[in-house]
Amino acid sequence: MPLQTDGMVVKNRRVKSLHFLLGIYCPPIADQIKPGQFVMLKVSDNASPLLRRPFSVYRSYPASHPERRKRGHLLILYKKVGKGTRTMTTLGKGQKVNLIGPLGNGFALSPLPSSAHCILIGGGVGIASLYSLAEALRGRKCFVFIGGRTKDDILGVEDFRKLDTTIFTATEDGSLGFRGTVVDLFLSQAKKFKGNEKYHVYACGPVPMLRALAGTVKSKKFICQVSLEARMGCGFGACWGCVAKTKHFKLPYQRVCQEGPVFRLEDLAWE
Amino acid sequence: MEDCDLTIRIGKMVLKNPVVVSSGTFGFGEEFEGFFDLNRLGALIPKGISLKPMAGNPPPRIFETEGGILNSIGLQNPGFRDFIKNKLPYYKNLKTHLIINFFGKTQKEYVELARRFDNVAGVSGLEMNISCPNVKRGGIVFGTDPQMAYRLVQAVRKATALTLMVKLSPNVTDIALMAKSVEEGGADAVSLVNTFRAMAVNVHTRKPELGNTIGGLSGPAIKPIALRMVWEVGRAVKIPIIGMGGIMSAEDAIEFILVGASAIQIGTANLINPRTGLEVLQGIQKYLAKNRIDRIQKLIGTLG
Repeated sequence: MPLQTDGMVVKNRRVKSLHFLLGIYCPPIADQIKPGQFVMLKVSDNASPLLRRPFSVYRSYPASHPERRKRGHLLILYKKVGKGTRTMTTLGKGQKVNLIGPLGNGFALSPLPSSAHCILIGGGVGIASLYSLAEALRGRKCFVFIGGRTKDDILGVEDFRKLDTTIFTATEDGSLGFRGTVVDLFLSQAKKFKGNEKYHVYACGPVPMLRALAGTVKSKKFICQVSLEARMGCGFGACWGCVAKTKHFKLPYQRVCQEGPVFRLEDLAWE
Repeated sequence: MEDCDLTIRIGKMVLKNPVVVSSGTFGFGEEFEGFFDLNRLGALIPKGISLKPMAGNPPPRIFETEGGILNSIGLQNPGFRDFIKNKLPYYKNLKTHLIINFFGKTQKEYVELARRFDNVAGVSGLEMNISCPNVKRGGIVFGTDPQMAYRLVQAVRKATALTLMVKLSPNVTDIALMAKSVEEGGADAVSLVNTFRAMAVNVHTRKPELGNTIGGLSGPAIKPIALRMVWEVGRAVKIPIIGMGGIMSAEDAIEFILVGASAIQIGTANLINPRTGLEVLQGIQKYLAKNRIDRIQKLIGTLG
């Protein structure tokens, strides 16, 4: 059950170019949130912007976390793109913000053996929902593909490296790593993933990236879960504003905030 | 504060207070359970129901404008049968009124739905939607023509003994005339306003921001127009008015009561602060206590 609660800003700094990292002290949500879930943040206390904004949680530090000083913290990795995120960059340490969370279904992890091979694919700020997943997958063989338009959009490499993952990077302008999209890069490496075992693919990024992934990952050896980004009204299932089209026969439009944000790739219908 | 009499009569229903949550902004109710005690509400109106399931409009369905929200959900709902089977059981233990918002494509469908809900235990009243701006045949054809609205309400009236509210569209030249028509047709109350037909454009893609091009505008941006319309309707009809349009706070709600609303509905605000219903109720109680008003009825339509 999601909670509505206040949190306190503990940090808000630029990571690179338009990307920022917001830290919020909010123990009730930090204790509960699972990889792939998100929070709705009210970034101002007035009507501008009016709606809350959805953010996946990059890292969370529950009460049981070994780093005592960080317990209760949530980290949100965000890109300054519009009015909401512009306002967000002005939040200062000590300021109060209101949150609703944890929301959505998160990634399904339970039937995953420790021998499973995992592939994480993040486009741009979409990588934000994959770090806590990589943490939860620790001990398993993880390949992380990070893509963006330019090297300024490649985020989290240092953090993922600390988790002993194998990292690949792609930029559309070739300024870092492979030149092309992250899905192209994944395909170019696909021969590495031969053999009999199944691969669990977890992806988050803009719609064109996920659509490209759906068009290329046809083999049954890849089991894909994708986390969708969507404009949201409420974030907790009340308004049906954030739907994605699925292959469901009767009611194809499912709520990203409630039935998602994580869907099985094969269940989604692309227009 | 607790001593103030907040009860309001709407048709056959006695609401314990005038705070109602609006259809389409409150899911089926259960989504709000963790945020506050729903039994505090005067009434709850779940998402609108049609005879058959409706898929709704293609996304994007929602877009924020200055002080408001554009939506084109398209009345997505599981249909009557699924609602009764999977949603209705949840309301069994609620101690507040359940008002069903419903709509049809034809007069026959409206009548059929009213007749079916009339037999459903736990339903206190009906809110007939003749004003959704997002579906061509989602009622707005009935909601903009006074003669058609009159005939439709008259036909539905015969099909149910439940309290019948009619939700009016603001997309008309003379909303008082519409209200009078549905009053003559036999409505027990009117609720207004639904959203204003509106649109937004993206200059980079040169496309509309909504998948359906046109949507309905709600939120604080529409409040002054909604207030004016409630005031006009209040001077034209004798049946109770449930006022709505951009109510974010108790003060907003009291403005609607002052211009003639017996009860109010919270819509858009539910999406932003899910506890708005409760906070508006507490704010109204505080206002009445501070102004030494012992019954909320004494406040209705007292604009000086």
